[in-house]
Order: sequence, then structure tokens, then C-alpha cells
Amino acid sequence: MNLAKPPQAIAAALSALLGRERFLTDSQSLQHYGRDWTRFAAPAPSGVLLPNTIGEIQAIVGLARQNGVKLVPSGGRTGLSGGAMATNGELVLSLERVRKISPVNQAGRSVTCEAGAITAQIQQAAAKEGLMYPVDFASSGSSQIGGNIATNAGGIQVIRYGMTRDWVTGLKVVTGTGELLELNQGLIKNNTGLDFRHLFIGSEGILGVIVEATLALTDPPRNPRVMVLGVRSMAALMQVLASCQAQLSILAFEFFSDLALEKVTAEHSIQPPLQERYPFYALVEFESTSATAETRALEVVEACIAKGWVADAVLSQSESQRRSLWRLREDISETIAQWTPYKNDISTTVQQAPELLRSVDALVSQHYPDLEVVWYGHIGDGNLHLNILKPDGVSVGDFQDRCKGVSAHLFAAVQELRGSISAEHGVGLLKKEFLRFSRTESEIELMRGIKAQFDPDGIFNPGKVFDP
Amino acid sequence: MKALVAVKRVVDYNVKVRAKADGSDVELNNVKMAINPFCEIAVEEAVRLKEAGTVSEVVVVSVGEKSSQEQIRTALALGADRGIHVEVEGRPEPLEIAKLLKGVVDKEQPQLVILGKQSIDGDNNQTGQMLGALANMGQGTFASEIKVDGDSLQVIREVDGGLQTLKLTLPAIVTTDLRLNEPRYASLPNIMKAKKKPLEVTNPAELGVEVKSHVTQLGVAPPPERAAGIKVEDVAQLVDKLKNEAKVIS
Repeated sequence: MNLAKPPQAIAAALSALLGRERFLTDSQSLQHYGRDWTRFAAPAPSGVLLPNTIGEIQAIVGLARQNGVKLVPSGGRTGLSGGAMATNGELVLSLERVRKISPVNQAGRSVTCEAGAITAQIQQAAAKEGLMYPVDFASSGSSQIGGNIATNAGGIQVIRYGMTRDWVTGLKVVTGTGELLELNQGLIKNNTGLDFRHLFIGSEGILGVIVEATLALTDPPRNPRVMVLGVRSMAALMQVLASCQAQLSILAFEFFSDLALEKVTAEHSIQPPLQERYPFYALVEFESTSATAETRALEVVEACIAKGWVADAVLSQSESQRRSLWRLREDISETIAQWTPYKNDISTTVQQAPELLRSVDALVSQHYPDLEVVWYGHIGDGNLHLNILKPDGVSVGDFQDRCKGVSAHLFAAVQELRGSISAEHGVGLLKKEFLRFSRTESEIELMRGIKAQFDPDGIFNPGKVFDP
Repeated sequence: MKALVAVKRVVDYNVKVRAKADGSDVELNNVKMAINPFCEIAVEEAVRLKEAGTVSEVVVVSVGEKSSQEQIRTALALGADRGIHVEVEGRPEPLEIAKLLKGVVDKEQPQLVILGKQSIDGDNNQTGQMLGALANMGQGTFASEIKVDGDSLQVIREVDGGLQTLKLTLPAIVTTDLRLNEPRYASLPNIMKAKKKPLEVTNPAELGVEVKSHVTQLGVAPPPERAAGIKVEDVAQLVDKLKNEAKVIS
């Protein structure tokens, strides 16, 4: 690894500010803090900063600006697009110690927390008060709220509750000038000109660093239950989605392909949920508030079976079963990680999702007839995750090169349907060269202009999302 | 051969159980209920024996309030053929449940009775053994594997430090341990079919049992909350705290 050293002048000032324990330069820390969940580039930061307070963060930004040193804001580093990668001698600005969660505000149904608070801990704090922070995903036990906001994280209940953006009512951010901005202060109603809060949500750290957030909370769902349905085609899957949405109180509608199920059941030595195998499975979670709600769910699925859309189905009979069924979907990403998959996170409108899947499937079978392809995703949101698994005996580099070759074709197919090349993972480093498939040149130029307003010296997360 | 399986309605394994504010009992209002996990394993085993052709009919019985019928329906959806609900108010003790089950055994004359080794609410681990005594049947408790062989039953039990294999003469009683099998999910078509399967309701009087109470619950209290941890400055302080505060080293 290239061991860059921070410039002498700033190193001394940082040591004075943070002490030896919170300004790390050992190779193990640089490796650990310099990367996210992606493995396509080598981490090479020059140091790791662990501030305790917002004041220290402002001081760090001041020092970085004076010395022309770049900063990479860093949360739980569970990202999948390299947005938190430090590959070029930057200083990693970790928020992990700035993590206080204030008491839940019952009357306002909100909670204010510092950016380093772990998503699952915020969920638990809300649950203790009988409320819920509803943005949830497989990595919520490690991810931090600041990173969730910077990537506008989605997850498994978007169909019901929307994205992170829908739950942020206030933000405190430190911009590239070291200034602390308080955006929207937790207000529900505030029509006073441009709302900068929404620029920072999904900004991937290029405008500054999020240091605190106020989040709206809601009531938890009552008696959620899960069905897993065996489905023979994508077209049928969309019919099932339409039926369920029209007649049930849906919390989630996810899908995965048979290969995804095969990998997960083999990895965890568990039985498949259905007696036979089908090309696709839908996981439907709904609120079963009464015996009538359960009967209606059964009738909806029975009708889908009668129409031939659903071949077989199971319904959770206990909380343990509900959780086990969810694991069939939630464990996919982690299970297939051992094949260092080439991952894509693409979306289109819900109604065009089958067409997107069809055209991408055709592309994949044309270019990779020999490779294993795992499909899963939030089909109720029009969001598909395509994963191509690396065969044994092929180097990661060769495999990635081969996959990259088809990315342009893939993203052209997405562009044709006016979809997104990154539905919820962000752009980071990984998707940067393909951004123009979803955004126009003039839009990207406007983004550059906005970055220059908040970060005039370009010290925050350089080279992410677009080139300077 | 007929198999009788007993199932109990208990607080869902994944629900955090809380004591009532007055400490009189566990809070059961608006709490999610489910089949006791060991009973679910018992149902699965009986259904597998039926699928293998060893058992011809699986009868599922539950002793409890009217809501216990939900758990009987679940067992029917998993593959049991018919249900018997012994309607009892309150929470009968293991001996009373065993007596009621004995009544059902007398009526049904099953060759095999499968029960969970214990229920996760009372944690008594008594009902199967008491039923064995009352019905004068051999018993194989904590079974991790069973095999029917003609008119006898081979039961492999998990005991401390290894496995014990028993041979029982049928009719016999088996109580299930966790590793006996992995229960299936109830399929929707089977849940629909289960609604039409016969479910007979009976009561202690019809079974000739007078339900008595021998034990009074005096109170329920949650475990004390753990104190927060502390950070020590150095090894010397750690050793000092372990010695003088925690008193775990001398």
C-alpha cells in the first residue's frame, strides 16, 4: 500500500487538536478507515481523524483549508459505490465518536442525533418510546445516520415509508469553509426560499460534512406478517404486486431469483421455504391487524394462484418465522460477497421494471452466458439489484474488467427506459464515469457550480460523483 | 397407526416478555402468541411420519382458552388431519394438562403421542413424563431422532456428553428436543384447507377430569438491570477493581 504522509504543518496542528489517540496514521487504521464495502480500489489515506465534537470538526476543516488537504467524510463505511473510499492521500474524517442520540421528542415525534449514531441504535431509541424510524436495511447495525443521509439510503420498506430524504426534518452541516449551517431546524413547515437540506441529502460528502440530524418518527406497523410466493415469470410478479398493492396494507414487496435462494439456503444450511423451486420469489410483508386482514391476504394470494401468477406460497405463523423468511432476502448480499460479485443497483418506474429486467437479462446472457447471475431487489420501487458472480479461478481484476466492458451497454439500456444507474447506492467512485447515462452534461455542470458555492477550495471528498 | 400431538399456545419466542406493573403476572395484553417451538417440532415430526407412510392419521390437541384454536389451525395447516380443543379457562398446571391429555388418549387410543419437551412459558418439563405415568406408556424424552420399527420405537436422546438410544414398545410417548427436525412453513393452500378440517371442542367435564390448582403464583419480577460498564485508566486500576470491587481475583 502507498503510505502517504500528511503534510508536516497540518500533522502538528492535528496532533495538538486531537492528540495521538484520535489522529491515526498506522497502516492498519489507514486500511480500515480508508475503505467501504467495495473492494475495487486500494485504500490510501494519509491519516484518520476521530473528532469528538462539532467544534473540533470545524477546526479540522479550517486546518484542511489552510493547508490544502482533502477530507473524506466517513460513517459506518457500508457503502457500495466507493463514496467513502480514501484512495489518494486524503484525511479520513470519521464521525464515529460524534454519536450522541438525544431523548426522543414524544410530542413532536422526532429525534435529534449526531451524525455518527448507528442507524439500529436510533431505531432502538425510537422503539423504546413506542415509535419507529422506518428506514431500514441489511447494514443498519453498522451504518451511521450521517452516511445514510449523505447517500439518501433506501432499503426494504421504501414502498411504504419512502427514502431517508422523507424523514430528515433538520440538518446541521459543516461546509468547506468551516461554517456550521443549521438547515430547517426540525420544522415541518418552512417555506422560506431554497431548502439546502435537500442538497445535502444524497450529496455523498461533496458539499461538506453532516454533523447532526433531526429525524421524524412514526408508529410501528401492527402485527407485520410475511408471505413468500413462488412465481414463474416477471410479468406474473408485476400482476401480483398490483393485486397486493390494491388490496393489502403492504410494508414491503421484494423479489429474488432462484439462484439467490439457492446460495442463501446452502450458505446457512436451511430449508427452502417452498416444496418446489420457481424462477422468482416475492416476499410480501403486510399488516395483519385483524382476522379479516389475514383472510383478505389469503384470498388475494388464492386469487393469484387461481390466475396462475403464483405457484405456491407460505405465510409466517410466528415472529421467528417472519424473521427467518426475511433472512432469505436480507442475507443475499452478504452470502454472495464471497464471489466478489459485480454489483449493479438500477431502477426505473415500477411499471417498466419487467422490461428493464428483460432487456438486462438479454444483455447478460449475450455477454456472460457462462456466468452465474443473481437478481434481487425492491421490485415494488422499480429497483433491481443485478449481481454477476465471479467464477473460481478468474482473478478479481480480470473479472471486473470483463464486467465493466458491458456496463456501458447495461447503462444504455437503463437510459433508454429513462431509469437510474444508481437507485440507492449513490455514485461515489464506482459509477462516476457512467453518471451521464442518468444526468445531462448541463446538470453535472450545475452540480459543479453548487459544490463550488459550499466548498470553494474543493477540500470535501474530491473526485466523488463527478470529476472536478 | 394414529399419532396424537399436543400443542400449546405461548408468548411468541421473539417477543420480549414483560412483567405487569403490579408484579402479579406476565403482561399478556396485545402480546403476539404462537405455537410453543418444541410443540411445532412435535407437529413436524408427526407430519413427516405420515408422509413416510408410517402414521395414518395425525390428531392435534391443545388444552387452553378458546384462542388456542388458532394454534390448532396452524398445526392443521402444517399437515395434521384433525384437531381437538380442550377448552379450559386460565392456565392449568402440568399435572392437570397431563390428566386432560390422558382423557384424550383414552378416547383416541393413539399408538404414538408426541409432545414438546417443555413449553417456553412455564419451562416445567413435566407434562410428557406425567402423561407417561398416567397412561402407563413408555417414554423417550428429549428425542433428537425417532424411528418406528414394527411395533416398537427407537428413540435417540441427547444426554450430557453424548447420545442414548432407547427401544420402546408402542404405544409410547416422545418429547421433542430442538434438533429433532426443522419445522416447515405453512403453505397458503394448506392454510386455506386447514380452515375446513374438523376441529372438535371438548371440556374437562366431558373427559371426566376436575381441574384443580396446587400452586399459587405469588409474583413476577424482571431481572435486575445491569449497571453500565466503566472505563479504567490503566492495568493497575483494572486489577484493583477486579480485586476489591468485583472480588473475582484475590
